[in-house]
Amino acid sequence: MKYAYFPGCSVEASAHEYGMSCMAVNKVLGIELVEIPDWNCCGSIDAVHAYNPELSLSLSARNFSIAETMNMDIVTLCSACFFTLSRASKMLHEDPNLKGAVDKIMNDAGLKFTGESKIRHYLDVLINDVGPSKIAEKVKVPLKGLKVAPYYGCLLVRPPQVRSFDDPEHPKSMDRIIEAIGAQSLDYPDKTRCCGASLVLTDESVMLEMTKDVLMSARAIGADCIVTPCPMCHFNLDAKQADVEDHFDLNIDMPILYFTQLMGLAFGLNPKDLGLGRNVVSLKAILEKLKPPIEVAAKV
Amino acid sequence: MAHTQTNVIMNQKVDSSFLEEMEKTAAGKKILDCIQCGICAGSCHARFAMDYSPMQIIKMVQLGLKEDVLSSSSIWICASCYTCTSRCPRGIDIPLVMSSLKNKAMENKVPAKIPTKPKFHKGFTEIVGKYGRMHEPQLQIKLMKKTNPNEVLNNMAFGFQMLRKGKVKITPSKIKRTKEIEAIFKGAQKKEEVKK
Repeated sequence: MKYAYFPGCSVEASAHEYGMSCMAVNKVLGIELVEIPDWNCCGSIDAVHAYNPELSLSLSARNFSIAETMNMDIVTLCSACFFTLSRASKMLHEDPNLKGAVDKIMNDAGLKFTGESKIRHYLDVLINDVGPSKIAEKVKVPLKGLKVAPYYGCLLVRPPQVRSFDDPEHPKSMDRIIEAIGAQSLDYPDKTRCCGASLVLTDESVMLEMTKDVLMSARAIGADCIVTPCPMCHFNLDAKQADVEDHFDLNIDMPILYFTQLMGLAFGLNPKDLGLGRNVVSLKAILEKLKPPIEVAAKV
Repeated sequence: MAHTQTNVIMNQKVDSSFLEEMEKTAAGKKILDCIQCGICAGSCHARFAMDYSPMQIIKMVQLGLKEDVLSSSSIWICASCYTCTSRCPRGIDIPLVMSSLKNKAMENKVPAKIPTKPKFHKGFTEIVGKYGRMHEPQLQIKLMKKTNPNEVLNNMAFGFQMLRKGKVKITPSKIKRTKEIEAIFKGAQKKEEVKK
């Protein structure tokens, strides 16, 4: 199983532990991700798009042009990159005028692309190419008794018109992985709510309100932790959790992991290789629940 | 939502070319398909922070209320979560409509209800132009109100915590073939100028 890998800017910085734990899990499952050489910003859902739509589409197109020489499906970890690249590919496919405009920009930059590469999220690869039963076979430390709230967020499954491998209202892919590694997956109404995304940079109080709803909903059903497949969701739920607590005078203490980190724990991998020391909210409560319990140094 | 309906009717500043202008954008073609069912308004996770619901924004575009739409907070608050579009029976890409409206608001230099927003879009784009990739700390610095010492201190404390957790890179990650990015930026900027 070999794919053209698009890391995206977050996985290089704030979501470093997502990339680390993914690579560690890949070794166990025999997945090979070949980084797209000299990849650039995906084009951004809205940050660049609102400023200049053709620019955003051309940024996506440059990534397509490099990936197309690799003849493999493009795989990304970031829900936002996954969506942005998928939407760009769809828009260029359906709108000849837009395609013409982007072709002209690309030609002038000395680049060519068709836009025919398939864009996939890593979770799609795990569910449909690897499969939950193969994942279950690799488990060394079943996470028995751990109650996990899967938080899907927005752009992994929405909107179905763009590209979807799971149900937009009741996604199940991450639940199936949680069950495969022996933990209990919890159902709750806010698993596809929006965390507020990039509002964290411009309208923090709005984002805090939106993130609070997700955290409190998971807490209300008795979750030990939340797992997510999106760097932006992880940042808001984890790194900004203390600000949510301050702003609303709450005590939440909810560990937030990437689903790949939880898989790594179940595979018995070294916590250091899973980047567990990089998560902001302490993971102590859930690591002590594991048998045998795991200790993680808090500094990187 | 009766009260906002009244607002719409009370304001008579209609720009009859606005709808046509919006119909030329990628998502704008379907604006007249809207049947005002309200699924988007009911589904929107950020509605509580908006002055007009997405449904009202679409109606206002149909009516040509350019000034009211471009000066609304709604267009900037939309977080592109796509719950509305997933449920829209007419298949309208509402976040993309909002994105085009932001574009027009910036183009027309309409003062934004959330003043950091235009800076966010401009700053983000400039950083990508420079490195080919995003470098979050630089964006944060561009958006910081430097006149507010409390905000500067809080930002610095948060930045230090992120640094300690290995979540921030001091030196930006830069692509090798920056010439291609430069050429793409040049081409796309020319395209925007022609449009104006």
